[in-house]
Amino acid sequence: MLGRILANFKRYSFLMSQMVSRDFKVKYKRSVLGVLWSLLYPLLQMSVMALVFSYMFKFRMPGVNYLVYLMTGLVMFNYFSEASNSAMTSLVVNFPLMKKVYIPKYIFPLSKCLFVGINFLLTLIPLLLIILFTGNQETHCILNIYYLFLPFAYLCLFLFTVGLGFILSTISVFLRDIFYIFGIVLTIWQYYTPIFYDISMIAPNLQKLFYFNPLYHYIDFTRQIILYNHIPTLSCWLWCFGSAIVVFLFGCIIFKMKQDKFIYYA
Amino acid sequence: MITVNNVSMKYDLGIEDYSFKEAFINLLSFKKRKKKEYFMALDNVTFHIKKGEVIGLIGANGAGKSTLLKIVSGVMKPTSGSIQVNGVVSPMIELGAGFDLELTARENIYLNGAVMGYSKKFLEEKFDEIVEFSELVDFLDVPVKNFSSGMIAKLAFSIATIVNPEILIVDEILSVGDIKFQEKSKNKMMELIKGGTTVLYVSHSLESIKEICSKVIWLDHGKIVEIGNANKVCDKYFKRQMS
Repeated sequence: MLGRILANFKRYSFLMSQMVSRDFKVKYKRSVLGVLWSLLYPLLQMSVMALVFSYMFKFRMPGVNYLVYLMTGLVMFNYFSEASNSAMTSLVVNFPLMKKVYIPKYIFPLSKCLFVGINFLLTLIPLLLIILFTGNQETHCILNIYYLFLPFAYLCLFLFTVGLGFILSTISVFLRDIFYIFGIVLTIWQYYTPIFYDISMIAPNLQKLFYFNPLYHYIDFTRQIILYNHIPTLSCWLWCFGSAIVVFLFGCIIFKMKQDKFIYYA
Repeated sequence: MITVNNVSMKYDLGIEDYSFKEAFINLLSFKKRKKKEYFMALDNVTFHIKKGEVIGLIGANGAGKSTLLKIVSGVMKPTSGSIQVNGVVSPMIELGAGFDLELTARENIYLNGAVMGYSKKFLEEKFDEIVEFSELVDFLDVPVKNFSSGMIAKLAFSIATIVNPEILIVDEILSVGDIKFQEKSKNKMMELIKGGTTVLYVSHSLESIKEICSKVIWLDHGKIVEIGNANKVCDKYFKRQMS
């Protein structure tokens, strides 16, 4: 079965790459700065948040490089929200195409997650710049050998997002209400994920809540490496891997079960 | 080449109405909620097509012709029954599926080609041929949204007909563009159809069916009325329709 999946994957890889490059071309059409926006946007976002929380709310996290702290969380959450959102709408948007030619349906959400993924890789450049410019021995925020483990967390984030994208896009075919519902869920999720605060600031009995947020684990994994200069704990590795695989497989199963029905609702 | 076994296709007509709004209106209007309604687009259809045969599909509007084409090309799966297709299907049902109007003609050739299932290598080889046939050399780097509808049709036709498919599905002979291009595109279609591939051809023009098909399948309300010699079945069909 795995062989068949891979063969199918290979057969449609050209279409997938075409769709990803199409998204790229269309996204930056008629913008002067073009792809530079992918680098600038998270930087500006970080600056705004740093201003608001450091100066207005007098947020203090002693011994932590707050700019890098913000940035590590932001780039990952941005990826998640943008990719899951566009994966969710990808099926409905492509209904006209689905009615005309046979294309494996998984291509639509997956190509969106890949496209936003390339964008995500670009946002790692400003993250790296911030680390190089503001990092120092004092806060332990320096380049280290554990950076080699970072792709693991990013891969988990990707799998989790693809899985969720499969689930959301399946639901969207039958129930358009999901667009609005997930919009609200994303807003809640944004506050439920420690992007600008640390969970140690939360009451201890509420801290357990964060274990059920996979995004917390992925972000925590990268922060343990980038900010605290040590290898992530074993439980962190397991939480990341477990949540990603479970959601990914669950998404695949749901999608596969329902994909032949999509066309009747198109 | 194509084996269709007891294929039925049932459409659920009630699919659209389950909203709160609908439920609310039904609550107020004391009417009983509509029972689920079904429509049998295809009802127990069985036939077999051998390699190299040119098959015509005839029948009145709503007889199930398009549904059958969609099932053979894999767009839809039948509600029951099975279908086996050996070979690469080139569905020439809709032109320009997957065009992105923001992209240039050059970019759309690759995008649309990928949607049609062509490989990168194939497209690179055939690129010049596509451009030449489309007569749009001077507009290659213009976004398609600035094209006239005729130009878009020309481009789409040129991409769609560049292959030598094993199975060709044609819904009416497409002749698009200006007079000159119409003639050219018609000839190209004929060339494809007569090129020894297996063809499933839907048309309301009995003349053209008789001209190119060896066998005809006559559909009515989702059922096969008759399969057989093109001339004989066409004549019977014509008489039935006119009486």
